[in-house]
Amino acid sequence: MSSCGNPIAEDAALMPRRFKFDKVRDCIKCKLNPGNIVIRHAVYCKDCLTPLVTLKFRRALEPLVNASSGTSKRPKLKASGSLTLGFSGGLGSSVLLDIVYKTYFANQPSVDPSGEPRGGANHPRNTNVWSSCAVCYVEVCNAFTETRDRTEEIRTALAPYPKFDFIPLRLEDAFDASWWSKVATTPDQSQLGLELGKDGLCTEGFHLAACPTLPPAAALRSYLASLPTQTAVSSAIKVIVRLLLLYTARSRQSSHLLLGTSLTTLSISLVSSISQGGGHSILEELQEEWTCGGESTTSEKLNVIRVVRPLRDVTMKECAAFGWWNSIAVVGRDKQARASAGIPGLTQDFIVGLEKDYPSTVSTIARTCAKLEPKSASRGSCILCQRPLQEGLEDWKNRISIRSYSDAKLTSDLCHLPLLAPFGASELSTPPHQPPSILTHLCYSCQATFTSRSSRGPKPAPSSIDVSGALPLSTPLPVWVSANHTRPHVAHEELVMSANGEIWYQKKQGEAENQSVVAKFLLDT
Amino acid sequence: MSTIDLTIEFGGGLELLFGNVRSHAVSLPTRVPASNSTTLSPPVSTTKPADVDYLIHHLRDHVLKERPELFMEGDTVRPGILVLINDTDWELEGEGSYQLCDCDEIVFISTLHGG
Amino acid sequence: MAPASCALCQNAKAILKRPKTGQQICKECFFFVFETEIHHTITQAALFKPGDRVAIGASGGKDSTVLAYVMKTLNERYNYGLDLYLLSIDEGITGYRDDSLQTVKRNQLQYNMPLKILSYEELYGWTMDAIVSEIGKKNNCTFCGVFRRQALDRGASSLNVDHVVTGHNADDIAETVLMNIMRGDIARLGRCTMICTQGEDTIKRSKPFKYAYEKEIVMYAYFKKLDYFSTECIYSPDAYRGHARTFLKDLEAARPSAIIDIIHSGEAFEVRDDVKATQKPQQTCKRCGYMSSNELCKACTLLEGLERGVANSVITDKARKKLDAMGPAPDNLRTIPIFRSPLPAVSIESSQDQ
Repeated sequence: MSSCGNPIAEDAALMPRRFKFDKVRDCIKCKLNPGNIVIRHAVYCKDCLTPLVTLKFRRALEPLVNASSGTSKRPKLKASGSLTLGFSGGLGSSVLLDIVYKTYFANQPSVDPSGEPRGGANHPRNTNVWSSCAVCYVEVCNAFTETRDRTEEIRTALAPYPKFDFIPLRLEDAFDASWWSKVATTPDQSQLGLELGKDGLCTEGFHLAACPTLPPAAALRSYLASLPTQTAVSSAIKVIVRLLLLYTARSRQSSHLLLGTSLTTLSISLVSSISQGGGHSILEELQEEWTCGGESTTSEKLNVIRVVRPLRDVTMKECAAFGWWNSIAVVGRDKQARASAGIPGLTQDFIVGLEKDYPSTVSTIARTCAKLEPKSASRGSCILCQRPLQEGLEDWKNRISIRSYSDAKLTSDLCHLPLLAPFGASELSTPPHQPPSILTHLCYSCQATFTSRSSRGPKPAPSSIDVSGALPLSTPLPVWVSANHTRPHVAHEELVMSANGEIWYQKKQGEAENQSVVAKFLLDT
Repeated sequence: MSTIDLTIEFGGGLELLFGNVRSHAVSLPTRVPASNSTTLSPPVSTTKPADVDYLIHHLRDHVLKERPELFMEGDTVRPGILVLINDTDWELEGEGSYQLCDCDEIVFISTLHGG
Repeated sequence: MAPASCALCQNAKAILKRPKTGQQICKECFFFVFETEIHHTITQAALFKPGDRVAIGASGGKDSTVLAYVMKTLNERYNYGLDLYLLSIDEGITGYRDDSLQTVKRNQLQYNMPLKILSYEELYGWTMDAIVSEIGKKNNCTFCGVFRRQALDRGASSLNVDHVVTGHNADDIAETVLMNIMRGDIARLGRCTMICTQGEDTIKRSKPFKYAYEKEIVMYAYFKKLDYFSTECIYSPDAYRGHARTFLKDLEAARPSAIIDIIHSGEAFEVRDDVKATQKPQQTCKRCGYMSSNELCKACTLLEGLERGVANSVITDKARKKLDAMGPAPDNLRTIPIFRSPLPAVSIESSQDQ
């Protein structure tokens, strides 16, 4: 009985639908006031909600503040670097900003009668947990038509938080050598490009190609236009925003990057990531320890940035009520500018709709995912999203689908079909001199971003991008892809582009054993 | 015909759909069509006391400036919009069937404006 | 515009776009890649060995009809050396299963395979129609699913087969991954992407269509003009599961690779060891001998609930405790016959030593 149309009905657990709140209308915490809000069946009053949210915030963040947990049960909180906050103007990050400010930055050290800080300015009590805090906003207006620049609105919204440094960023900074030179420890080489097929989309081979130097905003649009689906555009923007924040945090010697992801948005991003093949980096979606390029050498230990989502146990509904009752201004963003088209948007609609009828769903999703870990080892990190790169990706893809008859293992399977027999491996094999490919350096999700097509036929080729006819049609990649820091998985090799637009794989001295690996990347000039 | 005067507030970015105005004064008749129809068409036979369901339809039809689909879905507010009736979660007040009283304050806050 | 030529043979006219790869290919190449991918799934997982007796779970629906056809084709083409049987479970749903069983009986003749039909009524004393009239349409999928799984094993045991293959396809598995995450079922989340599962003393069960898109199965049945029964069960799934299915279809419409991408995710992670340690060990049901994570297996619990007239209250562990509080089951309670595996029982310790 393989199918009754309900395969997963097999010994299924049930999702009983419950009443929206338990019987009593009074606050379950103080048991005095009438309740004002229902949080997953539990009723709280207005006065109890604020400490509840703040407590959840501290419980999620404070165990991760100190670099190592030490021996003390309640160690003094002291971060090893500065703090960077990702701020979108949305509800979650507005609430985050306010709590962080009031908890760690607003209070002046108490002073003794002479006006000096008690115990002296250097007394541990008088130093902040973080030396300073930068608030980063990434303006995305150049990725969309009819979206206006909100940078100044954001600056205004930050006025109540004078101790925070405001760092406005733009999505196109990811294609801007001058931005890169500000945040990177190594000078930029040159922009790398990816070859595009006739339909204006990336080819499955991920071949590098010479790329005209475009102004950053045009490069961004060219990059986004080369992606085959709305899902891919949303995913690419999410990756760019994340890395703009991480590189900025690194340039400020930050030990922590805090994001305003609520429990609801966390569940959405987990399901969305799983739906885009991101299972291997499920832990990073929850909490990430990022080092540039994925390596963690002893000298770089100080450069580890902890990405923490302190509102990960607070639902969107709690954030909304908290923000409203604490008069926190929310700039808000329109739907388009939130890069939620395609799978992320579908997932949001699905989860938010489900949360309405089954309020426990979002916490179940987050709790379930927190119990998982990657099954196979990683080999370095993806050069685009810089998350762990799973081993054996190509094997898996080849195992589950036949995409070409040139595969040698098919020869024996073809014996029964004389019709197909003439197609030997030699006739259909790929040409001998291929430009270098970055295929093996991309994670599954990023590969899907570039090549997974929509069912509704190819996206129209971008017309707005003027590409010089002398060069092959190509699209630029974000600057960190061409950055020349070494990566563990391409041991001591680096991608280099020469002045005339050729791409080379260059090796540092002394790795003769990898000669054959490098040879295949070299262009035949 | 007697009316009820209400204060309506929008937050969390939802005000962007309502001409970027956060606070609105709204008057509703005490009795409204049971169908939630807000057009001032010929008198309808079946009426009910004005409730939040009717208010939602009224706001969509007469106050909202753009993209009604971001405010309503089906016959109620879109999932992800928090509704407070006099500072209390509408889930504690019977949601859409709560009968409005004069001077009630109804707040709609979008929770969908991300992290 | 000239018709596109097949992306694989570069020769014949492409007649379909594969949801799985996005390639436009011709009919012959579609048959070839569809069958060969199943062949690869079977050989790479080393599912069978020559001489194995294999039962195909057959419902008369598209998945199992195509499965029976493909299993027969591959068995002959690549000399697997398998003895194939059809195994059908009659849940007792008038207007649905009685009709679909007629299809299975035709398949028996068309494919020349022995057929065994085992009914819920025979095994449990209840048809699904009777269960639904007792409990309504709300939780009926739970009863049906629990009863079907055990019925399949018992049917297989009476056929004395080594292995049951079922028609679960990629869409089913992707949906199960999502459902298990949403309801926090860690144990099943780890299991659901496995191609082959084997309990301590039950028969091997595997899913050769694990990587086959539902759409491609339908296309295959259509182009091969296979005889199948295409009515949905008259008892519709509960709302929560319906949401998950609609969601998956929406994802697929946005990006067809989503189905395979979800399976890839499901295979890429596993339950952390420290969490695994807290999970309940498997035991055998003290009443019927079937594998179980509690003293009583799910089927026995559900059956007892039906027999004692409290069926709707036994679907959770908590409710089970309530039932226990009502006192012990009466002696004359109808129970499921004792399950005896055809395989020698393997103790947990020795299997871990291997």
